[in-house]
Amino acid sequence: MATEVSQREALTHLGASTAEAVARVLDMFVPGGVERGDVSVTADGQNPFVNLPAGGVAASVRYVDGVTGANVLLMPAKCARGLATAMGAGEQEDGPLTELEMSAVGEASNQMLASAAAAISVVIGQEIDISPPDVRIIGTDIDAADVWGTAPHACSTSFTIAGEPCRLVQLVPNAFVVRMARAIDEISMEQTAADYSNASGDGEGGITASVPMTEKLGEINLRVWAELGRTQLPIGEALELPIGAVVDLDRTADSAVDLFINGLCFGHGNLLVTEDGEWAIEVLALNKPVIRKPALVGGAGIVADQPDNARDPS
Amino acid sequence: MARVLVVDDAAFMRKLLTDALTNGGHEVVGEAGNGVEAVARWQELRPELTTLDITMPEKDGLSALAEIMAIDPSAKIIMCSALGQEGKVLEAVKLGAKDFVVKPFQPPRVLEAVEKALS
Repeated sequence: MATEVSQREALTHLGASTAEAVARVLDMFVPGGVERGDVSVTADGQNPFVNLPAGGVAASVRYVDGVTGANVLLMPAKCARGLATAMGAGEQEDGPLTELEMSAVGEASNQMLASAAAAISVVIGQEIDISPPDVRIIGTDIDAADVWGTAPHACSTSFTIAGEPCRLVQLVPNAFVVRMARAIDEISMEQTAADYSNASGDGEGGITASVPMTEKLGEINLRVWAELGRTQLPIGEALELPIGAVVDLDRTADSAVDLFINGLCFGHGNLLVTEDGEWAIEVLALNKPVIRKPALVGGAGIVADQPDNARDPS
Repeated sequence: MARVLVVDDAAFMRKLLTDALTNGGHEVVGEAGNGVEAVARWQELRPELTTLDITMPEKDGLSALAEIMAIDPSAKIIMCSALGQEGKVLEAVKLGAKDFVVKPFQPPRVLEAVEKALS
């Protein structure tokens, strides 16, 4: 599937997802005292580190596994002191930031970017690891490229913490942008399918241009699976399950199974065994119009609205 | 009351944990700032309980946890993780961690985890 999301959209989405996670953690430290500004994408060739707050604090955390890239939180000393105080590092009068205050800002960055990494992991479908934070005072002669490196892309989000301004700069490699764009494409496509299903399923209103939509979706390969049932276990209990353990599910043996396309439940069916011993599903109900193609998918042998060509279940 | 080793690369977090544990009646017998120090201090001090950060320089918390559990499978270790590190928490529990505390935390949650691990 061709990527249709632009680099700018991908960067904006990345910046917004990160900023939301960062703001959520900041709000735990300074309840009600955090405001988030817009995400701005740095134009190609521009330096994202202009107007550094000299004498302030820079706390950087890198993505080191899953994707790479750097996240640099830049804040004037007053903002850093306010954040550290809110976190419990003690109230300081004027003067240089203490080691404990610097450590608190670093810890805040660690927690913020861990949360952001988790949010991005969900989008791209891969776990992202972060580095320990690097915290430093911003000197007047600091060489940003030397300290934080460079990347082809960057975006920046402004915040205020208890009335004091700060900003988060993200340095983003090409590969990260491509993966982000691809992930957003896939999510958009699933959302489109879900919207189509919701709009068409009730027989009222619906999408008027259903034929073009069906044609558009018809050539796309999707993951299809059947779900026999579910249960919930505490982590400790799940980890200690012995070989041979029997886990009850929430369905009886003769219950219909749920059919999914890329996470979207699209129908229900009976689990069968074919003459050649393979599992198959006899579709009983559909939640949305199916794409009228021979519906044999993988080894599961899904039979979808094709009674004349249906596999003969034993 | 338990003898506790506190491991975190942030001095600020070590102080928060030490204050919470001390106010809860426990004795913090040592601190470490990375995974390498953690294993060394654990062998030296043999604490009754250890709090272990996950993201640290030199050696991360999961590697340190695995090494300590290899030395003493009955070691009582509580992981301190940031929001969003649930996957690593699961791995830590598999490796033998008794409980985990998500940062930012409140002191009662730390003490609850300690009591649970010691019980």
